[in-house]
Amino acid sequence: MTQPPFIADHAPHPDFNALSDAEFRALARDFVESNYPDIPRFAQHRLRWPEVRPWYAALARAGWIAPTWPQTLGGMGLGAGKHLILIEEFERYGAARVHDIGTVMLGPLLMQYGTQAQQDYYLPRILRGEDIWAQGYSEPGAGSDLAALRTTAVRDGDEWVIDGQKTWITLGADANMAFVLARTDKTVKKQAGISFLLVPMDAPGVTVRPIENLEGHAEFCEIFFDGVRIPAGNIVGEVNQGWTMAKALLGHERVFIGAPRLSANALGRLEASARANGLWDDPAFQDRFARLAMDLADLNDLFETYVQRLRTGAPIGADVGVLKIFQSELYQRISEELMQVAGSLAGVKLAEGGDSRFDAAGTYLAARPTTIFGGSTEVMRNVLARASLNLPK
Amino acid sequence: MHVMDEETTENIRMLCDSASALVPADGSLDRVRAARFQAPGFSRDGWETVAEMGWLGLRASEDAGGMALGLPEAVALVRVLGSGLVPEPYVAATLAIDLLEDAGPHTALDSALTGQDIILPAWQATADGLDPAAGVSVRNGRLSGTKCAVIAGADLYAVTTAEGLALIPRDAGGLTVQAIAMHDGTYRETLTFDEVAVEVHPSTDPVACLARAMVLHAAYLHGAAEQAFDITLEYLRTRQQFDVAIGSFQALQHRATEMKVQLELARASIDAAAASMDVGQLDHAGHMAALRARSRAGELARLVAREAIQMHGAIGYTDEADIGLFARKLVVEAGQFAPEFRLRERFMTHREDAA
Ligand SMILES: Cc1cc2nc3c(=O)[nH]c(=O)nc-3n(C[C@H](O)[C@H](O)[C@H](O)COP(=O)(O)OP(=O)(O)OC[C@H]3O[C@@H](n4cnc5c(N)ncnc54)[C@H](O)[C@@H]3O)c2cc1C
Repeated sequence: MTQPPFIADHAPHPDFNALSDAEFRALARDFVESNYPDIPRFAQHRLRWPEVRPWYAALARAGWIAPTWPQTLGGMGLGAGKHLILIEEFERYGAARVHDIGTVMLGPLLMQYGTQAQQDYYLPRILRGEDIWAQGYSEPGAGSDLAALRTTAVRDGDEWVIDGQKTWITLGADANMAFVLARTDKTVKKQAGISFLLVPMDAPGVTVRPIENLEGHAEFCEIFFDGVRIPAGNIVGEVNQGWTMAKALLGHERVFIGAPRLSANALGRLEASARANGLWDDPAFQDRFARLAMDLADLNDLFETYVQRLRTGAPIGADVGVLKIFQSELYQRISEELMQVAGSLAGVKLAEGGDSRFDAAGTYLAARPTTIFGGSTEVMRNVLARASLNLPK
Repeated sequence: MHVMDEETTENIRMLCDSASALVPADGSLDRVRAARFQAPGFSRDGWETVAEMGWLGLRASEDAGGMALGLPEAVALVRVLGSGLVPEPYVAATLAIDLLEDAGPHTALDSALTGQDIILPAWQATADGLDPAAGVSVRNGRLSGTKCAVIAGADLYAVTTAEGLALIPRDAGGLTVQAIAMHDGTYRETLTFDEVAVEVHPSTDPVACLARAMVLHAAYLHGAAEQAFDITLEYLRTRQQFDVAIGSFQALQHRATEMKVQLELARASIDAAAASMDVGQLDHAGHMAALRARSRAGELARLVAREAIQMHGAIGYTDEADIGLFARKLVVEAGQFAPEFRLRERFMTHREDAA
């Protein structure tokens, strides 16, 4: 099996942004069709690293692993609109999502706040698949209230010594590196004493416990740090500036987390299963379907307004939260309708390799965490109210 | 509010106490966890307990060796079974017993009541069907066709047909059984009959049997939903974020209240249906009451499942937290006896016919 490092072996990229959307769409489609390896398509859940590695390798070799990174740093240099097209075409083909925390989150953060040495060392390792990253923010007592985190990092000579626990780490068991928020000053206001640290998962004192989710997949995990020592240089930004970093990470991705694709996928499943169950022509069903389809079209329009802002460099305000709120709730409403269409057999658990379009309860369960992670819907509504409604406190 | 006589109240108290045989008072779900994803999804020991407690004969006539209690008593018991996520297919078995009684005296009734044979109904032809006659046909004493969504674990199937009830052993020649795992760790079966030799017992009103079973099933959903609600309330009281218990956030309080509203509506609807259907022939009003109870309970089940997960945050999405067991069970069970849109359709037919 292909092992990292996956060295890029392609000619210099053209300027993709100069292509028309239609040209780029055709290019993206052709790429995924001719490069997608023999691994599952339309997988309901995230594939684990050994399964998805060949696709990571194919993307890395072609220089397509980091779509939004500048070309000078090994990315595709795609603007937001082109990036979206790329995502759409990959989704349409049913391509699995690769382990992208390094390309999507850490890479851009290092470009903004990392030292030259950090950039030179870590960015190529992400491109070559040598480092697979996990995001270590949440703790058992610090979820929505992230600033309540208790994991500590204490400076000892040339090292930081980390103690504590992180949890709900997506694909953490597949990662060899984690970025971790830790408290470095207990004497100041809780947001002020936090730092952003880079931790090798194989450092002595790191233990990982996989956690099974409701669909029976060990997709996330818990990480324990017991006197873990990392070099002093493994801090990004200044000491106690971690909160700023954590927030900066949201920036761009706030838009993509509200992208309509989960809902669009689910609506496709709904149509397929209604047709398979002979319900498609039922007028009452048609009415319910039409409502969902119109909601999805409206979501697309709303999404496009934010993409437009990204394209033109206009600021994205706090109201971007409406995207994620509506997207995740629409996804969940579609999954409710899937349950109705599947009726008494809605609870069937698909065998491995089964047609995920007909896993109604699986979709229902998979839709649940989208209103929890990346800021729960309740907390996002609070933020939205505070930031954009100008209501009394 | 339906006033119950003292005897009924006392019977219900005793039955609910007896439920502790399968529903531990401390809320432990260890037994339930252990049975998951091991075919047939429940334990034979558990089934023996169900039989020993006399629950199988709860509503059967005294002539048949039953206790001749009413639907309200059965509803009360099933609610407790639901609160403990009991996987033994009690509601399905009582439907089979009801169907057997409806089809006249049958020796199999004995072995069903004693728990010696597990007899489960195969009545549904499609995942959204409500017609017990559909899916199969009998010609020259041979049964052909399919039934789906049959609860796994039967020794014998009580198969509903247009001609009446057929009892078919699991190992009958010409019967193919395909088991499918469900998300809650139980199994359903698709039965394919190819010229299976049968004796058919004419039935009088299998649809009425289904209506009664629907109300019991609603009670199961209600019991499970209420327990999930209580667990969630406890979490809202204890989980701290932003230096306060999350239950102090109005956004969550209002939605918890909505669950309360739906729980009480469901309770009223189920209890009223049970009381009104308990005596005499099932008329349009009785059918409508059953459809209403079952619809509300289905919606309730999914409401509580999604709110329980949401309010628990990430821990609600894990297999190790018990609330997840409730969510899975509610989601899987919510669709039994057909999805709500079919129930509403049927409701409107009765409404028209009653007018
Ligand atoms: C599938 C999945 C993957 C994840 N992956 C990662 C990862 O890779 N890395 C990582 O660090 N974290 C990850 N998380 C954790 C995620 O960020 C947290 O679950 C999230 O921040 C919520 O925290 P919590 O689960 O502790 O819920 P809590 O904060 O305990 O919230 C419980 C409930 O209370 C509500 N609530 C909380 N505060 C308020 C308020 N002020 N007003 C109203 N309601 C409120 C919440 O909305 C929720 O309904 C993941 C979570 C999931 C489910």
